[in-house]
Amino acid sequence: MLISLKNDVNEIARLCDEVKKFCEENGVSDEKYHDIVLILDEIVTNVINYAYPDGGTHTFTLDLRKEGDDRISMKLSDDGIPFDPLARDNPDTESSLEERQIGGLGIFIVKQLSEVVEYSRTDDKNHLSVTVSVLNNNNQQKQ
Amino acid sequence: MEVKSTTTDGVTILTPTGRVDTSTAKAFESAVMDAINANKKIAIGFNEIDYISSAGLRVVLMAGKKLQASGGVLVLINMPDKIFTVFKMSGFDKILKICPSFEESKPFFN
Repeated sequence: MLISLKNDVNEIARLCDEVKKFCEENGVSDEKYHDIVLILDEIVTNVINYAYPDGGTHTFTLDLRKEGDDRISMKLSDDGIPFDPLARDNPDTESSLEERQIGGLGIFIVKQLSEVVEYSRTDDKNHLSVTVSVLNNNNQQKQ
Repeated sequence: MEVKSTTTDGVTILTPTGRVDTSTAKAFESAVMDAINANKKIAIGFNEIDYISSAGLRVVLMAGKKLQASGGVLVLINMPDKIFTVFKMSGFDKILKICPSFEESKPFFN
Protein backbone atom coordinates (compact mmCIF):
# COMPACT_ATOMS: atom_id res chain seq x y z
CA MET A 1 0.00 0.00 0.00
CA LEU A 2 1.45 3.33 -1.09
CA ILE A 3 0.28 6.34 0.92
CA SER A 4 1.00 9.93 -0.11
CA LEU A 5 1.30 12.34 2.81
CA LYS A 6 1.60 16.11 3.17
CA ASN A 7 3.72 17.91 5.77
CA ASP A 8 0.72 18.74 7.93
CA VAL A 9 0.05 17.20 11.37
CA ASN A 10 -3.60 16.71 10.42
CA GLU A 11 -2.40 13.98 8.03
CA ILE A 12 -1.82 11.71 11.06
CA ALA A 13 -5.57 11.04 11.35
CA ARG A 14 -5.81 9.91 7.72
CA LEU A 15 -2.62 7.86 8.12
CA CYS A 16 -4.18 6.00 11.09
CA ASP A 17 -7.31 5.20 9.06
CA GLU A 18 -5.23 3.87 6.16
CA VAL A 19 -3.04 1.78 8.46
CA LYS A 20 -6.11 0.36 10.21
CA LYS A 21 -7.51 -0.72 6.84
CA PHE A 22 -4.16 -2.26 5.87
CA CYS A 23 -3.89 -4.17 9.16
CA GLU A 24 -7.46 -5.50 8.90
CA GLU A 25 -6.88 -6.66 5.33
CA ASN A 26 -3.66 -8.42 6.34
CA GLY A 27 -4.91 -10.08 9.52
CA VAL A 28 -2.67 -8.04 11.82
CA SER A 29 -3.72 -8.26 15.50
CA ASP A 30 -4.94 -5.22 17.46
CA GLU A 31 -1.77 -5.26 19.57
CA LYS A 32 0.46 -5.17 16.48
CA TYR A 33 -1.75 -2.52 14.86
CA HIS A 34 -1.06 -0.41 17.95
CA ASP A 35 2.72 -0.85 17.58
CA ILE A 36 2.68 -0.18 13.83
CA VAL A 37 0.50 2.93 14.06
CA LEU A 38 2.64 4.28 16.92
CA ILE A 39 5.86 3.73 14.93
CA LEU A 40 4.35 5.43 11.88
CA ASP A 41 3.04 8.34 13.95
CA GLU A 42 6.55 8.95 15.33
CA ILE A 43 8.46 8.71 12.05
CA VAL A 44 5.88 10.63 9.99
CA THR A 45 5.74 13.34 12.68
CA ASN A 46 9.53 13.64 12.45
CA VAL A 47 9.30 14.30 8.70
CA ILE A 48 6.43 16.79 9.16
CA ASN A 49 8.32 18.68 11.89
CA TYR A 50 11.90 18.64 10.59
CA ALA A 51 12.22 17.79 6.89
CA TYR A 52 10.85 21.02 5.44
CA PRO A 53 12.08 24.00 7.47
CA ASP A 54 11.27 26.33 4.55
CA GLY A 55 7.57 25.68 5.10
CA GLY A 56 5.29 25.36 2.09
CA THR A 57 3.38 22.26 1.15
CA HIS A 58 5.39 19.14 0.37
CA THR A 59 4.43 15.56 -0.35
CA PHE A 60 6.25 12.42 0.79
CA THR A 61 5.45 8.74 0.57
CA LEU A 62 4.99 5.75 2.80
CA ASP A 63 5.21 2.26 1.34
CA LEU A 64 3.53 -0.23 3.69
CA ARG A 65 3.89 -3.93 2.89
CA LYS A 66 3.42 -7.35 4.34
CA GLU A 67 6.53 -9.43 3.76
CA GLY A 68 6.03 -13.17 4.02
CA ASP A 69 3.76 -14.39 6.81
CA ASP A 70 5.32 -12.60 9.69
CA ARG A 71 6.69 -9.17 8.82
CA ILE A 72 5.39 -5.71 8.01
CA SER A 73 7.78 -3.32 6.31
CA MET A 74 7.39 0.45 6.31
CA LYS A 75 9.43 2.61 3.97
CA LEU A 76 9.21 6.36 4.33
CA SER A 77 10.77 8.57 1.63
CA ASP A 78 10.89 12.37 1.67
CA ASP A 79 12.73 14.99 -0.37
CA GLY A 80 13.37 17.25 2.62
CA ILE A 81 16.71 18.32 4.11
CA PRO A 82 19.10 15.49 5.11
CA PHE A 83 17.86 14.22 8.45
CA ASP A 84 18.94 10.99 10.12
CA PRO A 85 16.64 10.41 13.12
CA LEU A 86 18.82 7.47 14.21
CA ALA A 87 21.77 9.80 14.83
CA ARG A 88 20.14 11.08 18.04
CA ASP A 89 21.34 9.80 21.39
CA ASN A 90 18.91 7.54 23.23
CA PRO A 91 17.18 9.24 26.17
CA ASP A 92 18.46 8.46 29.65
CA THR A 93 15.65 6.21 30.90
CA GLU A 94 17.31 5.92 34.33
CA SER A 95 17.20 9.59 35.31
CA SER A 96 14.93 10.95 38.03
CA LEU A 97 11.59 12.67 37.40
CA GLU A 98 13.07 16.16 37.91
CA GLU A 99 15.97 15.51 35.55
CA ARG A 100 14.18 13.47 32.93
CA GLN A 101 14.21 15.04 29.45
CA ILE A 102 11.77 14.16 26.68
CA GLY A 103 14.09 14.62 23.65
CA GLY A 104 14.71 11.61 21.44
CA LEU A 105 11.95 9.53 23.01
CA GLY A 106 9.94 9.11 19.79
CA ILE A 107 12.66 7.44 17.75
CA PHE A 108 13.77 5.46 20.83
CA ILE A 109 10.25 3.95 21.01
CA VAL A 110 10.45 3.16 17.27
CA LYS A 111 13.76 1.31 17.81
CA GLN A 112 12.33 -0.63 20.76
CA LEU A 113 9.17 -1.74 18.91
CA SER A 114 10.86 -2.77 15.65
CA GLU A 115 13.21 -5.49 14.43
CA VAL A 116 15.17 -3.35 11.98
CA VAL A 117 15.42 0.43 11.49
CA GLU A 118 17.63 1.76 8.71
CA TYR A 119 18.28 5.25 7.37
CA SER A 120 19.82 6.15 4.04
CA ARG A 121 20.17 9.28 1.94
CA THR A 122 20.03 8.62 -1.81
CA ASP A 123 18.77 10.62 -4.82
CA ASP A 124 18.46 13.69 -2.58
CA LYS A 125 15.91 11.87 -0.46
CA ASN A 126 15.75 10.59 3.10
CA HIS A 127 14.74 6.93 3.29
CA LEU A 128 13.74 5.41 6.60
CA SER A 129 12.94 1.72 6.58
CA VAL A 130 11.35 -0.01 9.58
CA THR A 131 10.46 -3.70 9.87
CA VAL A 132 8.30 -5.24 12.60
CA SER A 133 7.48 -8.85 13.32
CA VAL A 134 3.75 -9.58 13.45
CA LEU A 135 3.98 -13.18 14.63
CA ASN A 136 1.15 -13.77 17.06
CA ASN A 137 2.72 -15.87 19.79
CA ASN A 138 -0.58 -16.65 21.52
CA ASN A 139 -2.14 -18.07 18.37
CA GLN A 140 0.96 -20.13 17.68
CA GLN A 141 0.76 -21.68 21.10
CA LYS A 142 -2.92 -22.50 20.60
CA GLN A 143 -2.19 -24.20 17.28
CA MET B 1 -9.51 13.44 20.88
CA GLU B 2 -11.54 14.53 23.89
CA VAL B 3 -10.55 14.55 27.55
CA LYS B 4 -13.30 13.53 29.97
CA SER B 5 -12.96 14.93 33.47
CA THR B 6 -14.66 13.71 36.63
CA THR B 7 -13.96 14.26 40.32
CA THR B 8 -14.16 11.40 42.80
CA ASP B 9 -13.08 11.60 46.47
CA GLY B 10 -11.32 14.90 45.77
CA VAL B 11 -9.29 13.46 42.87
CA THR B 12 -9.66 14.81 39.35
CA ILE B 13 -9.75 11.85 36.95
CA LEU B 14 -8.89 12.73 33.36
CA THR B 15 -9.68 10.23 30.61
CA PRO B 16 -8.43 11.11 27.13
CA THR B 17 -10.15 9.33 24.23
CA GLY B 18 -8.87 8.44 20.75
CA ARG B 19 -5.32 9.28 19.71
CA VAL B 20 -2.93 11.26 21.89
CA ASP B 21 -0.46 12.35 19.20
CA THR B 22 1.21 15.46 17.76
CA SER B 23 -2.06 16.82 16.39
CA THR B 24 -3.94 16.40 19.70
CA ALA B 25 -1.13 16.88 22.26
CA LYS B 26 -1.88 20.60 22.66
CA ALA B 27 -5.52 19.93 23.58
CA PHE B 28 -4.39 17.16 25.95
CA GLU B 29 -1.83 19.52 27.51
CA SER B 30 -4.47 22.26 28.03
CA ALA B 31 -6.85 19.82 29.71
CA VAL B 32 -4.09 18.45 31.98
CA MET B 33 -2.77 21.91 32.90
CA ASP B 34 -6.29 23.23 33.64
CA ALA B 35 -6.85 20.25 35.96
CA ILE B 36 -3.47 20.78 37.71
CA ASN B 37 -4.21 24.47 38.23
CA ALA B 38 -7.51 23.54 39.90
CA ASN B 39 -6.47 20.47 41.91
CA LYS B 40 -3.27 18.86 43.18
CA LYS B 41 -4.67 15.32 43.10
CA ILE B 42 -4.80 14.07 39.53
CA ALA B 43 -5.37 10.64 37.98
CA ILE B 44 -5.11 10.05 34.24
CA GLY B 45 -6.87 6.99 32.75
CA PHE B 46 -5.54 5.39 29.57
CA ASN B 47 -8.27 2.84 28.82
CA GLU B 48 -9.99 4.86 26.10
CA ILE B 49 -7.07 5.80 23.87
CA ASP B 50 -5.85 4.06 20.72
CA TYR B 51 -2.25 5.00 21.43
CA ILE B 52 -0.08 7.69 23.00
CA SER B 53 2.91 9.00 21.05
CA SER B 54 6.01 10.75 22.42
CA ALA B 55 4.14 14.07 22.03
CA GLY B 56 1.57 12.81 24.56
CA LEU B 57 4.23 11.25 26.82
CA ARG B 58 5.85 14.69 27.01
CA VAL B 59 2.61 16.09 28.50
CA VAL B 60 2.40 13.25 31.07
CA LEU B 61 6.04 13.83 32.07
CA MET B 62 5.45 17.57 32.40
CA ALA B 63 2.37 16.95 34.56
CA GLY B 64 4.38 14.61 36.80
CA LYS B 65 7.16 17.19 37.23
CA LYS B 66 4.74 20.03 37.93
CA LEU B 67 2.76 18.10 40.53
CA GLN B 68 5.88 16.79 42.25
CA ALA B 69 7.26 20.34 42.48
CA SER B 70 4.01 21.67 43.98
CA GLY B 71 3.48 18.82 46.44
CA GLY B 72 0.68 17.27 44.38
CA VAL B 73 0.08 13.69 43.29
CA LEU B 74 -0.23 12.19 39.82
CA VAL B 75 -1.25 8.56 39.33
CA LEU B 76 -1.68 6.89 35.94
CA ILE B 77 -4.51 4.35 35.93
CA ASN B 78 -6.43 1.86 33.77
CA MET B 79 -3.51 1.24 31.43
CA PRO B 80 -3.92 -1.57 28.86
CA ASP B 81 -0.81 -3.78 28.40
CA LYS B 82 0.08 -2.31 24.99
CA ILE B 83 0.14 1.23 26.46
CA PHE B 84 1.98 0.11 29.61
CA THR B 85 4.67 -1.44 27.40
CA VAL B 86 5.37 2.00 25.91
CA PHE B 87 5.55 3.68 29.35
CA LYS B 88 7.87 0.93 30.56
CA MET B 89 10.26 1.08 27.60
CA SER B 90 10.38 4.86 28.09
CA GLY B 91 11.44 4.34 31.71
CA PHE B 92 8.32 6.18 32.92
CA ASP B 93 7.29 3.28 35.17
CA LYS B 94 10.28 4.18 37.38
CA ILE B 95 9.48 7.88 37.76
CA LEU B 96 5.65 7.96 37.66
CA LYS B 97 3.04 6.09 39.72
CA ILE B 98 1.08 3.57 37.66
CA CYS B 99 -1.90 1.67 39.15
CA PRO B 100 -4.24 -0.88 37.58
CA SER B 101 -7.38 0.99 38.70
CA PHE B 102 -8.57 4.14 40.46
CA GLU B 103 -9.58 2.01 43.45
CA GLU B 104 -5.97 0.81 43.84
CA SER B 105 -4.56 4.33 43.41
CA LYS B 106 -6.49 5.74 46.39
CA PRO B 107 -3.72 5.18 49.02
CA PHE B 108 -1.44 7.52 47.04
CA PHE B 109 -3.93 10.37 47.41
CA ASN B 110 -4.34 10.12 51.20
